Amino acid sequence: MVNDSGQLYTMEGIAAGLVMLLTAYLILSTTSIYTPGDTHIPDMQLEQLGSDVLAMMDTPDTDGTKSDLEIFVTDDNSTGFEDMFLDYCNMLTDGTDDDLHMSANVTYRGEGDQIEEYLLVEPDETWTGRESAVRVTRWVQLNGNPPGIPSDIGASRPRAVLVEVLLWRA
Amino acid sequence: MACMNEDGQWIVLMGLLVAVGLFFLALIINQSALVGQTTAEGVLEFPKNDIRDLREAVFDYVDEGCLEAVQKDIIAISLERKNAVVHFSVGQRVPISGQQAYPVEIHYNNGVTVYDETVYHY
Repeated sequence: MVNDSGQLYTMEGIAAGLVMLLTAYLILSTTSIYTPGDTHIPDMQLEQLGSDVLAMMDTPDTDGTKSDLEIFVTDDNSTGFEDMFLDYCNMLTDGTDDDLHMSANVTYRGEGDQIEEYLLVEPDETWTGRESAVRVTRWVQLNGNPPGIPSDIGASRPRAVLVEVLLWRA
Repeated sequence: MACMNEDGQWIVLMGLLVAVGLFFLALIINQSALVGQTTAEGVLEFPKNDIRDLREAVFDYVDEGCLEAVQKDIIAISLERKNAVVHFSVGQRVPISGQQAYPVEIHYNNGVTVYDETVYHY
């Protein structure tokens, strides 16, 4: 005959089983430590910031004039490019400066259809720390060959080049 | 079970419920580090800025008189540096809303995102 004594022991057994299963799950799922950098959220913000800065620099002051970005590439003015870029992206709302660093390349199509690049802004000696660097790009159309460009670019002609900026937080 | 006192089962049961509830709260805290990950990855993967920039480059190309060398530059560099197959072409001017506009076809494909557009550029 079934009687109903021992209900408390049964309940206790079920509870203990559940607690053990949950504990095992928690322990197994915490063996991988997840940092905010793994979620790519800072990367996404940094990439958006860099794209916006390049878009600002590529906007001419008035219709029919050249943008700052185009003038910097045309004149091979690396310090002007670096100063303006870092000035725009290091600005914080509380008045202090952020700690972003950059280097820049220009990619072009040379004489024999090969794709080459040259350094526009040299990287400085800083480390990225935990977060990864991001790359942002912008097309620039030139009317001739910029002075800093290697000679394998071929004859002077109107051309489209790709400005690539590597951006990282130190 | 001889001599077992089974009073207070409600108290034990409520204690169990609180314990289970605490475990679920701990699980939620455990998962909170993941908030925004798929959003951020979606934003990173979607080439919004690339496509916008390509459109502006194509419009500049049309404004400068559609030089074939510039078109080859954009297609070759896109493939090499942006992993994107790009093509664009410009047709004869057509009247749109009383103005003459170039129909510009832009195609973009980086293996994940495909973008095709016919835009009338004044």
